[in-house]
Amino acid sequence: MSHNISASRREFLRKATILTGSVGTAAAPFAMNMAALGSAAAQTGDYKALVCIFLYGGNDSLNMVLPTDAVSWNSYTGMRSQQPDPIALRPVGTAANNGAAAGTPDALGGVLPIVPNFTASAENNTRTFALHPAMTDAAALFTAGRLAIVANAGPLIEPLTKAEYQARSKRVAPKLFSHNDQQSTWQALAPEGAKIGWGGRLGDLVASQNARTAFTNISVSGNAVFLSGETAFQYQVGNGGAVQIGGLTGNLFNSTAAASNFSSIITADNQNLFAKEYAAVVKRSVDAQSTFQTAYNATATAVPAPSQVLQPSNRNNATNNLAEQLRVVARTIAARGALGTRRQVFFVSMGGFDTHDGQNRNHADLMARLSHALNYFDTQLLALGLRDSVTTFTASDFGRTGSSNGDGTDHGWGAHSFVMGGAVRGKEIYGRFPIIGMGTTDEVGSGSLLPQVSVDQIGGTLGRWFGASDANLDMIFPNLRNFTQRNLGFLG
Amino acid sequence: MLAACGGGSGSGGGSGSGSGSGGSSADGGGTVSTAVAPSKTEASSFLAQATMGATEAEIDQLSQTNYGTWFNAQFAKPAQSHRSYVVNRGADRAANGGGPSQADFFESWWKQAVTGDDQLRQRATFALSEILVISFAEANLAVQYRGVSSYYDMLAENAFGNYRDLLEKVSLHPMMGIYLSHRGNQKEDPATGRVPDENYAREIMQLFSIGLYQLNLDGTPKTDGSGRPLETYTHDDIAGLAKVFTGWSYYAGPSAAARTDRRFFGNDRVDGWDWLPMQAYNKFHSTSEKRFLGVTIPASAASTAEADLKIALDTIFNHPNVGPYVSKNLIQRMVTSNPSPGYVARVAAVFNNNGSGVRGDMKAVFQAVLLDTEARTVTASSGAVGKLREPVLRYAHFLRAFKASSTQGAANFTGINNTDNPTNSLGQSPMSSPTVFNFFRIGYTPPNSTLATANKAAPEMQLVHEVTVAGYANFMRDRILYRTDRDIQPDYSAEVALAENPAALVDRLKLLLFAGQMPDGVRNQIIAAVSGRTIPAVTRNAAGEITNQTAIDNAKLDRVYIAVFLSMTAPDYLAQK
Repeated sequence: MSHNISASRREFLRKATILTGSVGTAAAPFAMNMAALGSAAAQTGDYKALVCIFLYGGNDSLNMVLPTDAVSWNSYTGMRSQQPDPIALRPVGTAANNGAAAGTPDALGGVLPIVPNFTASAENNTRTFALHPAMTDAAALFTAGRLAIVANAGPLIEPLTKAEYQARSKRVAPKLFSHNDQQSTWQALAPEGAKIGWGGRLGDLVASQNARTAFTNISVSGNAVFLSGETAFQYQVGNGGAVQIGGLTGNLFNSTAAASNFSSIITADNQNLFAKEYAAVVKRSVDAQSTFQTAYNATATAVPAPSQVLQPSNRNNATNNLAEQLRVVARTIAARGALGTRRQVFFVSMGGFDTHDGQNRNHADLMARLSHALNYFDTQLLALGLRDSVTTFTASDFGRTGSSNGDGTDHGWGAHSFVMGGAVRGKEIYGRFPIIGMGTTDEVGSGSLLPQVSVDQIGGTLGRWFGASDANLDMIFPNLRNFTQRNLGFLG
Repeated sequence: MLAACGGGSGSGGGSGSGSGSGGSSADGGGTVSTAVAPSKTEASSFLAQATMGATEAEIDQLSQTNYGTWFNAQFAKPAQSHRSYVVNRGADRAANGGGPSQADFFESWWKQAVTGDDQLRQRATFALSEILVISFAEANLAVQYRGVSSYYDMLAENAFGNYRDLLEKVSLHPMMGIYLSHRGNQKEDPATGRVPDENYAREIMQLFSIGLYQLNLDGTPKTDGSGRPLETYTHDDIAGLAKVFTGWSYYAGPSAAARTDRRFFGNDRVDGWDWLPMQAYNKFHSTSEKRFLGVTIPASAASTAEADLKIALDTIFNHPNVGPYVSKNLIQRMVTSNPSPGYVARVAAVFNNNGSGVRGDMKAVFQAVLLDTEARTVTASSGAVGKLREPVLRYAHFLRAFKASSTQGAANFTGINNTDNPTNSLGQSPMSSPTVFNFFRIGYTPPNSTLATANKAAPEMQLVHEVTVAGYANFMRDRILYRTDRDIQPDYSAEVALAENPAALVDRLKLLLFAGQMPDGVRNQIIAAVSGRTIPAVTRNAAGEITNQTAIDNAKLDRVYIAVFLSMTAPDYLAQK
């Protein structure tokens, strides 16, 4: 398959047919509208990207975004002060104790106050809020209006009260609390086994706007169902960009015949489906590598490497792999002219969030890395003049239990997410902030949160900004129609 | 996979009758008799599934005896200790001003994988390590070289034992205690709201024994009246089982008095804490009622961690899912990504009863996995036949097929180390899965592929993408070279001897690497590639001495490199059929 403008046009025509066939006449105009939108907006400078930062393992967002009014704080500290290693963070204004063991709440100092505008979800304005003490950069981004918080989100099929959940009188998302299934649900709106993610489907819709459709959905973090589309593949790059297979041309072990036969064998179609798929991936790799890497290599100076991050767990600086991944994203975006890309969806990730134990030190490091990486990426996008064109969001398997098991937390459900970008209406919390504690109307066991915002609503809001219409959003997000608030408002 | 009966397509000629000693199922499948002596190609196919890679010597040996003799010989070979190697190597390094590292384990792992004569145990243990997962990738285990080595040893020592024992030894190994955080897990405290850590309770059920859905014997899910799969457990079962896994911590010595509160919390560790089984510290063990999987352990002030563990593991082990769950996992690791229901049912029946009334006999289970007619027969090479070879097994196969050895002799096996990097290495190291869900999920299928359309699983494909295919090819292009700066060297003497006959050279690799399953088109292309490297004609000086021997030797070696490299990267090799 060649990847050029005409391939892109075929892609569009094929998609129009697919959409017509799959959802009837209502959807056909949508596909046409998407294409028309792309053509009309073809002038230089038109660019949009979504970036998913996936926090593998289940982020303890209860220690990332904290309500600090007296009632909330009492509930919080009551839930999280169990011995032997209490995980309750210190209140706003507590000085960091450099004599305390690294990574402990005392060593970290107090949580960092943030003051939302309360234009969104005004019912939260009787409460006060803070971020994890290692998130200085994220707090500054919030205050600067480029970071928003989506409160208590999670997989939901329809709105659900605690009574309805307990009585199972409404539909409940399947396989709650299970890592692989909830990762899949956040990424693809169904448990493990889902083959198409919502990032990939958004990519399907915009692929025809790119000169090479192959560069629409890009993962810097391995295969993730989030980026798998109906038609779009995810293109994988590493921290150095695309990797060239050596020996395909010229002499291979002093034989030109060896090089040409090597090239032929590794990309040839095959009757065996495992061999066939492997060869198809090799062919995609070979076809795209040179174009990608030539463009990518030219961006090394434009996007300098990130600084190291201070790790609270040992007070040392260390490489921030998440920031390194976001550098690859920024460089790929910087190469958009040469790559002919105008709409892209990216996937990066960090692991280690399954903090059943040792939470204090481990989670502090993770929070520091996330905060530092967000700031790095925001700074690079400013330099590229693309802050308004790139929207970044966090997602994770699930939130965690409110109660501690002595030095960590277990699998939960609802969780707070970040959304960052120049287009984001930041300095806001979207969604009613839950009542923290045991036995509250927001709690479904061990202090876990019953989500009030669905993954579909977050995706729908991002998708609308990305250019998708209501008809499209209803196709991509099957539960969106069950919620009255289709647009959470964090992107206008 | 090859026809079990008849002469096969290779040299040697099979003599087996092939009829099953294990009976046959409704789908006509059954078990190949242990009395079958396979042909050479059949032997190579079997060894691709049962070992870390076929070698000429193993092929010859197996084809001259029979499967039963081979199994019995393999079962009898004792496990070799990685922990001993790591301890000795760490001492070596310390004496030279260095310190122990993960490399010590990787050296030991590759040494045993490549040179060990207990090849069935090697492969079985590796398969178990991808089901009963712990990993260096977890920050707290990253520095536990000795502990992780001992965990792998524990799997090896019990690979041919009983799955009930495996479950117990896995549960009590201190590295699992760290990895899934039940080490130091305390009973609930209603006054503060503290609850037991649920991590291990969840994963021992989801990943190590029964899985999420109730299974039929053949591995298919049981469904309710509406066709929805029935779940095996609820969160209440997890919360109940989590209480069982309270009160366990590091080995403190034979005396119960040594199990101090400080030791429970991980202080004052005694020698062996990282490899001896965890012990019960009953002061911290929950005494309240524990309900899980239909069993209730009543509240009792006399509850002990040991007694509750026995009830819990007996309950889990006897759950009807364990047979089909473990059997299908092992089939996927060794033979095929998509076993038929009949194949799973045949192995699961052996798991449930080895013929002598014993449940969980792993010798019988591995034999059933590998001697099933579906493993030993291929009806067509097209479709979703077989599985993708995973990266470390490709490289192990390479090192074995070409007789790699250490230039330092038997003592050490150095220089491979961590092979995690996806851009220039294998993108996979043993005992280094990113999570407890292994390197790849059992149900993974690549999106937008014919495999997905056909609704077929391809777990190992989760590691395959634009970066890793390039990383692997580039890694192999370098690693096949004979380089004097490396400790571990291939021995190509048998291949160089065939260099002047490209067809014979390629046919040797067709047997060793492809188990005969090299299509003619690929064979012809590799032969053409090999032939493209011209071997210069001999030139002699006036005294009749050859003057261009080096050029001739280099050309022959290039021919071997071409044949090996094009074979090891061919999709027809990468798909183990």
